[in-house]
Amino acid sequence: MQSKRLGWILLAPTLVILFFFGVLPFIYVVYVSFHSWNPFAVNPEMVFNGADNFRKIVFDSAFLNSVGVTVMFVFFAVLSELIIGYFLAQAFMRDFPGKAIFRTIHTLPLIMAPIIVGSVWKLMTTPSIGIIPHYLDEWFGISMNIGTSAPAAFATIVIMDIWHWTPLVTLTLIAALVSLPQDPFEQAQIDGAGKRQIFWHITLPMIAPAVVATVFIRLMDALRTVDEVWMLTGGGPGSATRFVGVHIFKEVFPKTNYGYGSTISVIVLYLTIVSCWLLYVTMLAPRSKKD
Amino acid sequence: MSFALKLGASALALTVAATASFAESRAEFWKNAAEPYQGVTIRGVTESSPPSLYIREVLAPEFEALTGIRVDVETTSWDQMFDKAIKDMEAGTGIYDMAYIEQDIIYSYLARGFLTDLTGYLADHPALKAPSYDEANFTTFADYFKDAEGNLYGVPMEAFLKVYLYRTDLFGDPDIQSAFKAQTGRDLVPAKTHAEYAEIAQFFTDYGKANDMDLWGTTAQAHTGHVASWYEYYESVAPTFGVYNWGIDPDNNYAASTANGGAMNGPEAVEAMTWWLSMRDIAPPESPASTWTEVGTTFGAGRAAQGLVYGENAGWIAADAEKSLVVGKVGVALPPLADGVLAEAESGDGYIGYYDGGAFGMPHSSKNKEATALFLQYIGQNEVQPNWAVAAPRVTNTATYEDPKVVAFNEELGGYYDLIKDKGYLFAGAPAYPFHAQVREATAPIFYQILLGDLAPQEGLDQMAAAAEATLSDLGYRK
Repeated sequence: MQSKRLGWILLAPTLVILFFFGVLPFIYVVYVSFHSWNPFAVNPEMVFNGADNFRKIVFDSAFLNSVGVTVMFVFFAVLSELIIGYFLAQAFMRDFPGKAIFRTIHTLPLIMAPIIVGSVWKLMTTPSIGIIPHYLDEWFGISMNIGTSAPAAFATIVIMDIWHWTPLVTLTLIAALVSLPQDPFEQAQIDGAGKRQIFWHITLPMIAPAVVATVFIRLMDALRTVDEVWMLTGGGPGSATRFVGVHIFKEVFPKTNYGYGSTISVIVLYLTIVSCWLLYVTMLAPRSKKD
Repeated sequence: MSFALKLGASALALTVAATASFAESRAEFWKNAAEPYQGVTIRGVTESSPPSLYIREVLAPEFEALTGIRVDVETTSWDQMFDKAIKDMEAGTGIYDMAYIEQDIIYSYLARGFLTDLTGYLADHPALKAPSYDEANFTTFADYFKDAEGNLYGVPMEAFLKVYLYRTDLFGDPDIQSAFKAQTGRDLVPAKTHAEYAEIAQFFTDYGKANDMDLWGTTAQAHTGHVASWYEYYESVAPTFGVYNWGIDPDNNYAASTANGGAMNGPEAVEAMTWWLSMRDIAPPESPASTWTEVGTTFGAGRAAQGLVYGENAGWIAADAEKSLVVGKVGVALPPLADGVLAEAESGDGYIGYYDGGAFGMPHSSKNKEATALFLQYIGQNEVQPNWAVAAPRVTNTATYEDPKVVAFNEELGGYYDLIKDKGYLFAGAPAYPFHAQVREATAPIFYQILLGDLAPQEGLDQMAAAAEATLSDLGYRK
């Protein structure tokens, strides 16, 4: 009884902070999402409009486009980070000259704020004067202009995200790989299993919880990407990189369309939860049943 | 000592004594007026621009030393500044005592009652009225920060024109001049019409290519995902074709489409868009990713022979050798115009470009209005203007033009201040719309599609006009 009470007392500050800075704002956003509210309209007050915002969102091509672009971005970025991160983690499990220095350098992007990453990449990719388009043109005769080419802008953002976040995936997977017991691997080798078989039947299932946790983190992060994209392309060219985060930002801040912007936020939160749940169900739940 | 010499010496002594006593009495005013507010801290939020940085680095410490009132000026990005200021004023939290008001948002702020009427406030608090502060000292740009009764809601702190900048070294080069004459049959001088401008632009783009130079004929603020491109078209290009106030008619139920009496998708708007896109196509390759900042950088790097450039950048381009490669090689002129536009501007029925700038206002929610009113007057005095105008090219007080430092600096700027003084009346700020950002954001995505070629100018402008009208109906302005 005593320890339970102590537990609640120790938890209380966190719960209070969570309530005021997490739960209350969320409830408020849900409340606003059922209203029409633009402080610069003729009527600047909040007006209850039922589910009108939710009905409107279904037919909002700009929003649907932003969801589509975001899903593509999440797919390419997170999958690439996972694959590259795994190979790098495997590389760091072995000894090679300069490993410590390489690991330090490889981790450096993680300490950079997204807005700085966006700025640096903007400098590097500015058409004709950035280092990347310059050398692409000089060495391969490829003309890269993220101001006019939607595929170039999209690919640049995916690559920027991979550069920024792969180290996180690598570190998580290193932690998972280091903690694996050696016995199953030795047994498999004695039984004559090949590298591919060991990977699919031993390594991957054993690190699956770490992989899923990493994907959860990256998925949630990628779904709310704003800063880097804002700096690099502003959502352009056109709406080619107008991810949902950027779309919400434009709806809520410059347009001051607080009601509809809140609705989009609620829907995006819902989509994020559903995506994570689906991921959990498909990757971890079958394994739990087997256990 | 002769009598004349004695008389002269006495007059000089008297003048020095009078000046010193005058200055002392002025300093005395600030000290006495601020006495009840010793130790108070006033906070402001503004864009991180040279004029604002001057306030933070120079004027605020000066004021603090004089009065004992601490001034914290937060300089941040354009978007963040609006976000912070609007949220503070909307919620009435009173975090900020001063907020930067860009000319184009003043009407939204006034409509929402966000700002304190400074004229009325000082009239109600005569003890706070500084003898060296007078609203009559401001240039006509201050009119943008007044309500219908003529009361001022913001102390102007920056004012620029978006000017036609050209390279005097290139335009004055005899070889280039003769090559241009041989090709076009006319002298190489700053363009007065769009056709002339296009001819010069094409000539220099070809010239750069033929001579393997990083030189193009024009700048273009044509970012395909940032509102800077939208602004270049509506503030600086469309008006030169006779499309004013974004093509929206506030006196006709805020009509935007030609079908309803607007001009957003009219023939002049289409012609303006087509011309501008053709200029974008022969501008430096970075243009589709250029905002106002990158246009300045492009010109400062010597990559364009001419262009429409914001005045805040024109200053450093023309005079700052640490940042610009074309110092002393820059001239200013009026933008190219379609027939009849200049006459309309002179008669007050139109305008030829953008008069940009901003003011410092006092949010209605400020908790330190007395101390803030003192600081706002301090930065509005004639005395503090000349050094400010040299440090960050902006003029808000009429007397500043005559100051010797500013006169000398004007030479370095290729006559930029003369242009503001003599021709500033031909330019205009943003239209008096309280829905500025809302209509801009509603139409900008379509605008980007036009830039990308996904929509033809006419088709895109038709859609923009429809989107503008729909937004205005949603907001309740269009009945």
